[in-house]
Formats: sequence, structure tokens, C-alpha cells
Amino acid sequence: MVAAAVRYLSWFAVVIVLGLGMVAMLGSSGCVVVRAHQRGHLAKRAMVDDRATGESRFAEHERGSREGAEGGTGQPGGGCGCN
Amino acid sequence: MRLQLTLAAAIALGTLGGATPARGDGTLAMRGVYYKERATRVMQPMLDGMFDAGAHGIISGHLLVDAITSASTSSGAANAAGFTERRYEGGVGYAHELGVVTLAGDAKISTESDYRSIYTGARAQIELGQKNTVLGLGGGISFDTVSAAAAQGPAMPTLRCDAAHPAEPSCPLDVYAMYASASQILGPNAVIGLSVDLSTLHGDQSNPYRQAIAGEVLVSERHPTRRTREALAASARYYLAPTGTTVIGAYRYYRDSWQVHAHTPELRIVQEAGPDIDASVRYRYYTQDGAYFFRDRYPPDDAAMTQYVSDDVKLSDFTGHTLEAKLGVLGEAFELDGRWAGARFEGILEYVVQHNRFGNAVIAHVALTIPFEY
Repeated sequence: MVAAAVRYLSWFAVVIVLGLGMVAMLGSSGCVVVRAHQRGHLAKRAMVDDRATGESRFAEHERGSREGAEGGTGQPGGGCGCN
Repeated sequence: MRLQLTLAAAIALGTLGGATPARGDGTLAMRGVYYKERATRVMQPMLDGMFDAGAHGIISGHLLVDAITSASTSSGAANAAGFTERRYEGGVGYAHELGVVTLAGDAKISTESDYRSIYTGARAQIELGQKNTVLGLGGGISFDTVSAAAAQGPAMPTLRCDAAHPAEPSCPLDVYAMYASASQILGPNAVIGLSVDLSTLHGDQSNPYRQAIAGEVLVSERHPTRRTREALAASARYYLAPTGTTVIGAYRYYRDSWQVHAHTPELRIVQEAGPDIDASVRYRYYTQDGAYFFRDRYPPDDAAMTQYVSDDVKLSDFTGHTLEAKLGVLGEAFELDGRWAGARFEGILEYVVQHNRFGNAVIAHVALTIPFEY
């Protein structure tokens, strides 16, 4: 059963390692460094996160009760009897 | 609900009314959401607070009430009998900054007549390359209890938590989740993000009120008691300086051990209209395959109860489209002074087209976020 679980999750682990590795490499290699004084546009609300906590929470809850897919936000799916 | 809103207002006024020297900043957000689909209406008032705790800490918390009126407890079932129910949820969180590393933890409890959930989670985040790269790792555990307490009739029905055990008044559902995320600045106007979520659910995942058609009779829903879910999400944001426009693209791929696969691309455009007003539009497409055991109609039920049966619309094959318009206005646009100048008003209108038995839905938000010092 453990072997089956590992096999099932293996491609996903590869994606995680590759994705995070790629981003870490980009960040640490110095090829892209935007300094603090150049970040005026990056600090704008729409560039950081244009959704309030309550808005995102309701959206996740509502989708969890209507759609079969959950996740992508870093929170478990428990919390209501929406089955 | 009126009592909760009065309490929320009292907390808000108490927080805002302090005259002592300021020790930190915070925000208080009040939001009301209205949701309506063919057979269900939900009203959800909520209160979110966030404030500094010392030089390196942030405390957050929320309270909400879900007031649900539905044609049926069985969430979309054809054999509907109306009901009204309330769900209460509260949560707290704390984040502490230690140089380039931030550590955080949060907890949440949610309760309604037939479902209770207790969640706790932790996460760590590190900033690299002069904050050009941010990596995050987190996890959480949720212990839920499911019953059929909202059933109508003189006696409370019992549940078969799994085929190997006798019926019980309630069943456990445990959720273990972890996630990893990364974001990278690509230039003065561009940032990308990537996240991966994994979760595994152990326990009763059937709706205790819903029944599927097997042969010529109705049988109680029986879902597998284990489910492993995986989601991979990517996003990109680009700011067009000449027009003050932000373009946000996102995509999520999802799959699980019940063989539900879903694709969710999304596009948002946020337009600044001066320093105090922003407006946005959003389009989201959603498509999924059905679970391997989902059928519109099943063959006659087998006595050993080894067959999974479901009447859950969420496990069928369907597509959906979401259109949203949003307006955000700061108090300064109305020439307000002091903290009210930084207060933000938000209005959101969303329309969901969904090709299944749930039908289309309308969602509306009204929110006010007020900054404060204490």
C-alpha cells in the first residue's frame, strides 16, 4: 500500500522539486534582482494580492460545496458539511 | 444573527474608540455575502481583524455565521425537503517574523447541527535574493465529526461510517494537508507564483441525507472512506504602468484518487481609476471529470454493500463559467479624513453558469475595511 501511494504521488513530487528548485535558482542566481526602490509597481494592491481574506475564504467555501476539486490555496478542505 | 452583528459592531467601535497612544496598526474588515442558486440561499456576515503584536508579530482572527436556507439537506437531491440551518465559525492566527523567515500558526473551529470541524495548521516562509524569491511550506490537520442531526423526523438516523462497522450516531472525518509555494519577481512589473497542495481524507465522506437510485429503489449514498487530493496552481501578474492596469492569469490542475480531474484557468484585469478607486473583471472556467463510481443510475443494490453509490452532483462530469465585477473605493475618494480616509469599501457581483443540477448562481459581497491604531 505504501509503495502504491509513493508511486501515485511520485510525479507530483517531481513537479514540486523541479518547480521550487527552478524558482529558488532564479532567485539566488542574481539573474533577476529587482531592488527595493524599483518595487513601486510590485507593491500595488493588485500585484500583491487583490483579494481580502474574507473574500478568498468565502470563495473557497462556496466552490467546495459546488465543485469536486479543492486545493491550490494551502488549506485543508474540512470545515463544513458540504458533501 | 442580529446579536452577532451587534457584537461585531460593538467590538469594532470599541477597537476604534481607543484614545491611548498608538502601539501598533491593525485593520478590521466587515463583510456580508449573499449567495443564491436554484435551491439554496446563503447569507454570511463575517468579521476579520488583524493587528500588530509587538515589532515582529501579527495576530489575526475571524468570526462568521452561515445562514443557509435550502430546499433540501441533501444538497441538490431530487427528493427535497426544505430546511434552514446556521453554521458558526471562528479562527485565530499568529505570524512571527524572524529576519528573512516568518513562522505562523492558526486554528479554526466550525460547528453546525450535523457537522463539526476543528482545524490547526502551521507554515514557514523564507525570503531569498533580496526578497525577490519567497518560498513557503505549510501543513494542517482537521478533525471533523459528521452526523445526521439535521434529519427531519422523530428519531435521528444512524450512519454506516464504513461497511465493516455497525451504524453509529456520528462518524469521524480526518483531513491531513500540506502545501508548498514559491513566488518570484521577474522584473519591476512582473511576478509569478507556483503552489502545490496535497491532502488526504480518512473517514465518512458521504452525505447522510442523500440517496442514489439503484435499480428501482433509493439507497443511501456510500462513498469510499479514503481520498487523496492533489492540486498544482500557477499564477502570473503583470502591471502595465502607462494605463495603470494589472493583468492576472492563473491556472490550477487538480486530481484525486476518486479519479476526478479538473482544470481551472482564470483571467483577472484590475484597472486603477485614480489613486483611490480600482475596478476589476474576472473570468473563470472550470471543467472536471466525474468520479470513477459516479452514475446517474446504479444497478440493483448488492446486499454486501461493497458497491459505491453516489448522488453527489460535485462528482459528476461538468463545466462552469464564472463572471465577476468588483469595485474598490478608498474613503479619501469621498473626502473623508483621518482613519476613514484609508477605509476601503468593496462591492462584488459574481454570476456562475454551471451545467449540472445545481444550476446557475449569483453571489454578491459588500465589505468595509477600516485601518486603526491602538
